[in-house]
Amino acid sequence: MSPPLLPSWRALAALLVLAASAAHADSLRRFALVAGNDEGGDETRPLRFAQDDARKMHGLLTRLGGVAPGDAKLLLNESSKDFLAALTSLEARAKEAQARGERTALLVYYSGHAKDGTLRLGNSRLGFEDLKQRLSNAPADIRIAILDSCRSGALTRTKGARRAPSFEIESGAARDARGLVILTSSSADEDSQESDALSGSYFSHHLASGLLGDADRSGDGRVTLFEAYSHAYARTVADTAASSGGAQHPTFSYDLAGNGDLVLTDLRAGGDGLVVPGLAPAGTYYFVDPAGLVVAELDKRPDVERRVALAPGTYRVKRRLSDRLRIGEVEVARGRQVVLEEARLRDAPFSDDPVKGAAPEGGAWWTVGLSGGVQSFLDAPTRDTLFLSVGMLGAEAQLHDYFRRDWVWGVDVAVGGKQAVLALPTLSGPAYRYSVTSLGTTLTSEWPQGRVTPFVGARMAYQVMRRDFADEAYPDQKFAMFSPGVVAGLRWQLLRSLHLTGRGRLHYLLYTVDEQRSLGFWELSALVTYQP
Amino acid sequence: MRHLAPPCLLLALAACGGDFSNDDLEFLNALPQREDLSVTTPGERMGGGTGQRLVRQGKVGSPSALMEKLGDASALVGNTDETGRDINESIGGILDSVESITRLTPTKREPNRRVWGPILGKNDMEFDTRFVMTREGERFEYQTQYRRVGGGENDWWSFLEGTFQADGGVRKGTGRLSIDWKRAREEEWLFSVDFLDGQEIRYQTQRLPTQVELEYFGPLPDIFPGRYMYREAEGDLAEMTFEMRGTDFVPGGLPENVALVTRWAPDGRGTALLEILSGDIVGAKYTECWDAQGRVTFISRSWDFLNPTEGVRASCPDMSALDR
Repeated sequence: MSPPLLPSWRALAALLVLAASAAHADSLRRFALVAGNDEGGDETRPLRFAQDDARKMHGLLTRLGGVAPGDAKLLLNESSKDFLAALTSLEARAKEAQARGERTALLVYYSGHAKDGTLRLGNSRLGFEDLKQRLSNAPADIRIAILDSCRSGALTRTKGARRAPSFEIESGAARDARGLVILTSSSADEDSQESDALSGSYFSHHLASGLLGDADRSGDGRVTLFEAYSHAYARTVADTAASSGGAQHPTFSYDLAGNGDLVLTDLRAGGDGLVVPGLAPAGTYYFVDPAGLVVAELDKRPDVERRVALAPGTYRVKRRLSDRLRIGEVEVARGRQVVLEEARLRDAPFSDDPVKGAAPEGGAWWTVGLSGGVQSFLDAPTRDTLFLSVGMLGAEAQLHDYFRRDWVWGVDVAVGGKQAVLALPTLSGPAYRYSVTSLGTTLTSEWPQGRVTPFVGARMAYQVMRRDFADEAYPDQKFAMFSPGVVAGLRWQLLRSLHLTGRGRLHYLLYTVDEQRSLGFWELSALVTYQP
Repeated sequence: MRHLAPPCLLLALAACGGDFSNDDLEFLNALPQREDLSVTTPGERMGGGTGQRLVRQGKVGSPSALMEKLGDASALVGNTDETGRDINESIGGILDSVESITRLTPTKREPNRRVWGPILGKNDMEFDTRFVMTREGERFEYQTQYRRVGGGENDWWSFLEGTFQADGGVRKGTGRLSIDWKRAREEEWLFSVDFLDGQEIRYQTQRLPTQVELEYFGPLPDIFPGRYMYREAEGDLAEMTFEMRGTDFVPGGLPENVALVTRWAPDGRGTALLEILSGDIVGAKYTECWDAQGRVTFISRSWDFLNPTEGVRASCPDMSALDR
């Protein structure tokens, strides 16, 4: 043994230990059941963001949390029966994995209503005690329950779980942890609050933001369960302290054998993300998606490099100073780590805050727009001789997120027309002008997917068709009727306040003049909307 | 709010419906319009065309072969004008009654049938009125019907009846329209017209020359001219055929009934062929041509062996399109 080489051997040994630990961590087979339900049945008001929270958590766990897509189940507005069925399915697979000698972890996330000791999944219920019992017996080495619901802290108060005295729980121990961990968004007597500005619940937002990197206090590129919880706790309490609902205190309990920590997300797992270099100014950075929603936050300390595992896409970055904002835009490419350069940020007044929720009270917002399209009846004789195919120009106004999150109510008016020559079996030749006026109101539900938002909905239109003959021997004619229909399409956010929508409509029209006939027509149109 | 719902629903329902109907247009197309059946006269052409028309002094209704001289205004142009105006007035009166009803939206729409009315008689009116149209393929039939107030469905009787065989174009086809004056008197709907039993208009507009024919039927056929015909050919050439009764067209002891065919061009020039049907020289023919101002340019008398023609025959306009 050569004395000068001793430090190298020690370093190598440390590396081997780390590698062994990492390899051991990687061998943990992870299963995740993620459920979100906006509805809570009787005596509850619909939530606005529970499904969104679940979608976010599902995406995060499969992208960074080591959960294979096939091992994750996402339930949106499903019943307790579906919830238990999905849990049974995952348990069976975990059991098979255990039988093969794999270590397993089962994570259950729920965002939604809870009341009177039960989770409320729509009109169905699932008792806290039943869920806890079920998880206690689940065939997985580690079971983690994260409940973002009102009074969910009751679950951590019940028998069989120890309340965590503090969050300075040691990790990195030699023995692997086994047992049950429960995180709740609020204590047993508190409501869990949603935020329009965050477009999600405070707890889930800060938990997700922490898992993306803000909670990585150790700076090792991994966010452990304890790091994530302590971060979510601190930020949730701070954000809700001044809210009308009062401060909300997340809870944490565990019933673990062994004392190893669990890595929840690996910030380098996707290979893509954003690095804020150590030399970048200290402060809180906000990363805003194209829809104006804060995806992640980062508390940057002086001279400390931080990492945010943002998914590929374009983000606006905001740092708030006492008298102004510093804002800029970054593009996170797939598989690449992008460094945030301070030089690419610029000063901006507070009025230019890119966060959508920062502006309108209650989250509702208006758009106005202009549309152009085509209307045509399905039946060939009808469109040839009665109600012709025409181009339409129109104007619309839409109210977003007023009745409910991602619901859009719109009113529209459109006109169209063309010159034509009549061609009937016993009469051909008279020239006339055919015109259509359409007044409509539409209610659609949207599913935002970054810049692109698909939507479907229902529409009721009042259609007025006219034809005016040049020959006075033929009377000008008119027909008016209410027309129900459906609409579907895609809305694409071109700029922050400018959207381009492509959509199709299918309508029913009852024709009653010569005889009663059921007719159908379609409309294809493009719509440019501006958000004032 | 609950009380607002029914009125709102009623308002919405009231805002629905209309008259946007292809069948309505086809039914209306089967009815003759005034311009389809109206007669243009040589006088109109002259007045609106090449210059001032010369007006023949004297009674227009009594032409005389002896009075016609080259260079004078033609009396036959005047007779044709007056007859044309009479035809237009007669047809116009009939069409007025149809148009006054069909200007309204049909009261009842059934497959291949339209009904306007019944317009119920009120106050001192003794008859209900309705207009009915039916269709079978390209053939349309229509009637203006009356019944006594309080009558039933079987009490309707037709005063006016018409048919139209459509040919696809704008009022292109063959039609007939008749009025039953005799039935009107029998039903006590009308008392004054006792010299007519019926009146019929026949027309065809689907190909050139188009044709409108007006015929009267009555108890006194000898004193009342019964038939008028008007045709139009390519190039806006027009022809009118009618009879004149009790004229003293040629010297002699008997009054003449004559058959007259007048033809005229858009510039006002024209020809007339007159044949004596009864009177002093039955079968004799008289031909005359006139220029754009209505001045006689050529005369031919079949009975005048010494001087059968006057003027230049070549001055007569070419009217052969009317012979097809």
